[in-house]
Order: sequence, then structure tokens, then C-alpha cells
Amino acid sequence: MDATLKLWVVIFVVGLLNYLSRLSFIAVFARRRMPPLLGRALKYVPAAMLTALTLPMILGDPAAGNPMAFNPRLAAAAIAGAVAFFTRSSLWTIGTGMAALWLLQVVS
Amino acid sequence: MRRLLASTDFRAGFVEMLPACIGLVPFGLVCGVGASAAGASWLAALGMSAVIFSGAAQILAGQMLAGGAPIAVIVLTCFVLGLRFLMYSAAMAPYLKALPARWQQALAFLLTDQAFAAAIRRFNASDDPRGGAQHFLGSGMALYLCWQLTNMIGFFAGNVIPAAWSLEFAVPLCFVALVAPLLREAPTVLAAVVAGVAVIALGGLPMKLNLIVAGVIGIVAGTLADIARERWTRR
Repeated sequence: MDATLKLWVVIFVVGLLNYLSRLSFIAVFARRRMPPLLGRALKYVPAAMLTALTLPMILGDPAAGNPMAFNPRLAAAAIAGAVAFFTRSSLWTIGTGMAALWLLQVVS
Repeated sequence: MRRLLASTDFRAGFVEMLPACIGLVPFGLVCGVGASAAGASWLAALGMSAVIFSGAAQILAGQMLAGGAPIAVIVLTCFVLGLRFLMYSAAMAPYLKALPARWQQALAFLLTDQAFAAAIRRFNASDDPRGGAQHFLGSGMALYLCWQLTNMIGFFAGNVIPAAWSLEFAVPLCFVALVAPLLREAPTVLAAVVAGVAVIALGGLPMKLNLIVAGVIGIVAGTLADIARERWTRR
């Protein structure tokens, strides 16, 4: 398939599915109670999916370099994680994480 | 419309979201850069940010498109990633029940990770549904405008940013900011740890299938731990 067409199909299908997910219980299933098991499972979607998405970004390509070597990104992300846990502020988390990475890159 | 823009709740929501918007600037820039790297035109890049309006899905779709994954795999992975909106939607529903359908449809469109966090705080603080909805609309619109703007700047000017700044690192940091505060209960921690171990262990799978498989394994682990914990405390 043509690459431009493929991109637009992805935009509209993903956009539509996202919108339907956002609308689901607000409007479509407004009169229905969420099945208890589904409600329980959905509670763990952010932690599981976002971790699966994020960890490879932090660790980088496993083929490049020694996996046991000091990784400034992992250290900076751990510091940012502690800041996020205690402050719950995205601005502080991103600010501290970026500053930590810059410092660690200069030092190491 | 003018009355809405003048309402104090709408303005308060808009202004209160601005610090979070500043935090999202690097993320928006990186999304714009990612769209250009995936070969999108400026219009398609704007389509990604304006129609999908989810940084996580945009980054992922861009990477998978650039990697040549088939549409079905891209759509399925983004759908599972977006299942969290189902939970946000269910959590918001009781507060938005009394609103007209058009308000519900508009607010649902603006329901993102950041807007959800702000709206839940606000609805918990006061039980005035109309004021809360206007507040939500204000914060959602601040995010939406900031997102389109930063995505476009990233698309056109992303290559000007020096590589030494490691701006792309702001993307995982945005997700760290979302996930770390959740890690206060054992089943949630387990879901995150299991998903993290699985995504690395399954790194050999093609088309980033490790992501969706690891995510589902993590969700199952968290759910089972939740059920086990309930049985344990009931005894």
C-alpha cells in the first residue's frame, strides 16, 4: 500500500478507536456498570502498558555496547521516578530527569 | 461561547494546566520530529497530533510505520495502549452524567492522561458538576492547543535542536511522571515490574510485538495479584 495512504488510515483508525475508548463509559455505556473483572484489569493498564513502552526507550538498543556498563539514562530515569513518586509533578519530574542526564553525561 | 470563555472555572482550568503544558513541550517537539522521521507531510503530522491526540500512540505509530509494521499490528498495539482511556472514561462518567450529550462528547475528546489527573482532582475537591466540566474544558483546551503548536514546531524545526541536548529523553520522562506516582500498591508495582521484565525478555519479537505481549502479561499479573490480595484480606 502507498505509504501516504497507510499513514492516513493509521491516523483515522487509531484516532477513532482512541475516541471511542475515551467516550465509552461517559456516553455509550453510560447506563451500564462496568463488569467487575474488567474494572479490576483496567486499573493495571497504565502501569503495565506505559512501563512496557518506556523501559526500552530508557535502556536503548540492547545490541549496542556492554549491557552491564553504567547507563546514565537509567540512572537519570530512576532519579526522575523518585521525584515523580514524591511530588506527582510532571514539570519537576521532567526538569530533574533532564538535568540529571546532562550532569551524568558530562561526568561519565 | 463568549460566556464560557469568560467563566472563572474555564479560565482557572486553562491557567492551572499551563505548568503541565510547559512540561509537555519537549514531548510535543519529539512527536513532531518523530512524524517527520516517519515520512509524514506537515498535514499528516498535524493529523496525528490533532486526530490521535495521544503522545504515546503517536510515538509508537510513528516508530512502527518507520519499521514497516502492517496496519493491523499498529492499530492493535495502539488500541491496547489506549485501553487506559476506558478506565479514565469510567472514572469520569459519574461526574459528567448530568451534562448534555454535546458536552460529554467534547470532554471525551479531550480526555488525556494529564487532563484526567487534573479533572479528577478538581471533581474530588468540589461537587459542582457544571463548574467542574468548564474547568475540564479549560484544561483540556490548554493541552490541545499546546500539543498542536509544539508538534508543528517539532515537525518544522526539530532538526535545529542539538542532538547533545538529548531532547528525546523527555519522552520516557513524561511516562515516568505518569507511572511512578501510581506505584503505591503491591499489585500495581507487580504489573509494572512484570511488564518491564517481559518487554526486555521478549525484545527479539518482530514488529514491536513484545510491547503488547508484555503489557498484557503485566495487566494479567496485576489483576491476579489484586484478586489474591482480596482473598487474603477477607480471611
